[in-house]
Amino acid sequence: MKTSPFRAVFNRRSTAMEKYLLAIIIGYIVIVALKNPLFFSVETLFDMLRSGSGVMILAIGVLIVLVSGGIDVSFTAIAVVSGYTSVKLMLALGIDNILFAFMVSIVVGCLLGAINALIIYRFNLPTLIVTLGTASAYHGLMATVLGTKSFPTGAMPQSLVNFGSTDLIVINSDTGRYGLTVFLPIVIAVLVLTWFILYRTMLGRQVFAVGSNEESASRLGINIFRTKLFVYAYSGALSGLMGIIYFSELKYVNPVSLVGTELMIIAAVVIGGAKLTGGEGTILGTILGIVVVQLFQSTLVFLGLGSSWNDLFFGAVLLISLGVMYYRQRIQDRKNLVFATA
Amino acid sequence: MGNPILIAENLSIAFGGVTALDSINLSIGEGEILCLAGENGSGKSTFVKIVSGVYAPSAGSVAIDGGRVDSQGPRAAISAGVQVIYQDLSLFDHLSVAENIAMNRMMHDGSKLVKRSTMRTIAAEQLARVGVELPLDDRVSTLSVANKQLVAIARALSMDARILFMDEPTTALTTNEVKRLLKIVLELKSRGLSIVFISHKLDEVFAIADRITIFRDGHKVGDFTAAELDEESLSFHMTGRRVSYARYHRQIDDETPLLQVQGLGRTGNYQDVTFDLRNGDILGLTGLLGAGRTELALSLFGLNAPDSGRILIGGKPVSIRSPLQAMEHGIALVPEDRKTQGLFGAQSIRNNVSSNVIDSLLGRTRLIDRKAEQALAVATVHEMNVNNKNVDTLVQNLSGGNQQKVVIGKWIARHPTIFILDSPTVGIDIGSKQEIYDRIHALAASGIGVIVISDEPEEIIANCNRVLVMHEGAVLDRFEEADLRAPEFKDRLATIISDPEAHVKHATAALTTITPGDQR
Repeated sequence: MKTSPFRAVFNRRSTAMEKYLLAIIIGYIVIVALKNPLFFSVETLFDMLRSGSGVMILAIGVLIVLVSGGIDVSFTAIAVVSGYTSVKLMLALGIDNILFAFMVSIVVGCLLGAINALIIYRFNLPTLIVTLGTASAYHGLMATVLGTKSFPTGAMPQSLVNFGSTDLIVINSDTGRYGLTVFLPIVIAVLVLTWFILYRTMLGRQVFAVGSNEESASRLGINIFRTKLFVYAYSGALSGLMGIIYFSELKYVNPVSLVGTELMIIAAVVIGGAKLTGGEGTILGTILGIVVVQLFQSTLVFLGLGSSWNDLFFGAVLLISLGVMYYRQRIQDRKNLVFATA
Repeated sequence: MGNPILIAENLSIAFGGVTALDSINLSIGEGEILCLAGENGSGKSTFVKIVSGVYAPSAGSVAIDGGRVDSQGPRAAISAGVQVIYQDLSLFDHLSVAENIAMNRMMHDGSKLVKRSTMRTIAAEQLARVGVELPLDDRVSTLSVANKQLVAIARALSMDARILFMDEPTTALTTNEVKRLLKIVLELKSRGLSIVFISHKLDEVFAIADRITIFRDGHKVGDFTAAELDEESLSFHMTGRRVSYARYHRQIDDETPLLQVQGLGRTGNYQDVTFDLRNGDILGLTGLLGAGRTELALSLFGLNAPDSGRILIGGKPVSIRSPLQAMEHGIALVPEDRKTQGLFGAQSIRNNVSSNVIDSLLGRTRLIDRKAEQALAVATVHEMNVNNKNVDTLVQNLSGGNQQKVVIGKWIARHPTIFILDSPTVGIDIGSKQEIYDRIHALAASGIGVIVISDEPEEIIANCNRVLVMHEGAVLDRFEEADLRAPEFKDRLATIISDPEAHVKHATAALTTITPGDQR
């Protein structure tokens, strides 16, 4: 039997959701490119990669939590709190170093994620409730202890500003200078690392196992607490990483932004095929889900549509794609005389 | 019995002050099949959970090969060679067959990384030991229950198990699949594995047990050799009382058909099914799983539209397109799977009972009359003899038998005229079984028509006065009350059910002479 190129790379069949999303993305790109040839340029691509990097990293954290059977709404708060703590510490200590910034932010993010896991496991509470609570608590704690003063480009650590403007490749054209962001290798590293953990380590398989059936996992002797601790700490660490990227990209440190966008990111991951019931989700699907969001966000202007159309488009894609998926499942179930949906 | 491999001494455990196990002493020999028998709630499953390290006993100890393993969690028990195949199989639906089988072993070996080829090798090896082939890369969710069972067995074997516990492994299997499973169990035994087989299907217990240990209400009643017991004494020890299923005889003298099914068919499900159901009939619909019984029942209940033939109720042709229409025609269906189709598990007994008759509970204000609802629920739990009379109890907290009583009770509350029960006693203990049979008999005697779907010959014999055997969607044979009374009929029926192909050849000649026109 001939193996498709997809199978050769990913060692599995593509999911139906991945195919849908790819079709939507290609169709949309064709329409936009026909309407406005300006869209089809390296500049647009570079621009989208820059603005999408942070969200992509957060989405990977969301994916791993969803796979484990949980749902986390505190990751944007963790990103802002870790990033802001790091910036404050840099200013207080006078250390203006980008590696230090990342280190502090990732450690803080990791700790906050671990606290989530601890509360979830210790009190056996629904993950949504716990992270709703901690999102507020973390942000509130930051606001009372560190304040919410924002730092414009001139007042924030210079290393962050420089990092945000670093480009790997620079292209000079008549319209200006465009660079490929330094965030890209970080995103790729996160994707590869997460893929490796999820698919090539026992820990990753245990995350799937716990998300698939927690009771069975514990009967097998899987350490549920350790698995969850990893899931939430890893998601927290990714949030911390994103916090610094986020401030660097905007070249503006505002600790009251970002929070509130979490549902949009969770929705993008769900569009990518992750199930809220756990055990299911792919990295490729997540990437495609985020690409859809980013495409709408940054290209509706090429169609001459205002940004309010973005929400409409995104909502429509979410409802239609998931609707079609679940409807097909239902038809299939009915054929097999299954009437209850698990 | 060989050298004792597992010895449990004075094992006790209590939950919230209620003693679930009381001073259990038990030993299992090498290469022995011990059957653990007992009704639901007798402590069998609790015992398994202690031995496998899920619960820590409040007193007593468990030793395997002389080493104590209690209260150290599942990993310690697994290391000592204990493997449990739980009733729900505890598989991971989202992972592949290979991953499900190999995970246990790889975790135990302390592997940190996963190699697909290693997983596949381990899985293939274990499946070969069981003697079956399954697609290694398929998701477990796509397998049949019987194949899932084999995956669970292969997973258990991967750990060099010394004692294998199987908790009610046959409840969801067809007769042929049970045979295959029992064969595998005997083979494992011959290789020196000790097996603890938990079941309340008596014929299976007798087919494979070396010894039988009986639990009742958290106590051990005793150890017996298979030769010491027969079905009657075994059920006596399990229930503490004599159980015998009364046969049903139709007393009504009225030949008018209540329900007529004529040449009914649905492509791919069943074809050309014809039968009549009279007042007071209990019609047995039997055959292996997949014979088309359930599909036919769903068609009568408006959930699986037929594409040929017709259904007549009270002599008039009817079209049943939804469960609501079926209910308007007085049809009730107790579905095959009570957990997902029969009940609202997270709701109280009261809400479950009233859910079917909510219209009749509306007061003048069109609001639900809470007093009437309460009264109905209380009357139902008493009528059905549900063990927990508090109607606020969530249905999911009841045992299987009591849950089924609630399902049947909620349909009786609607006063159906045609009552279909699909596999009404699967996974239900003997005591409840008898009570449910008594209810079915009483309902039929009161003049309604009952259809019982079952693949247990015993159940068919005890309840039915007419039988329809189905095979691959077609009616293979039919029997009347006179046939059923023949002394050897149970064995004859069992043979037909378990080996319909042989009967097809045998009966082809006879069948061609019986045309639908022969129906009264």
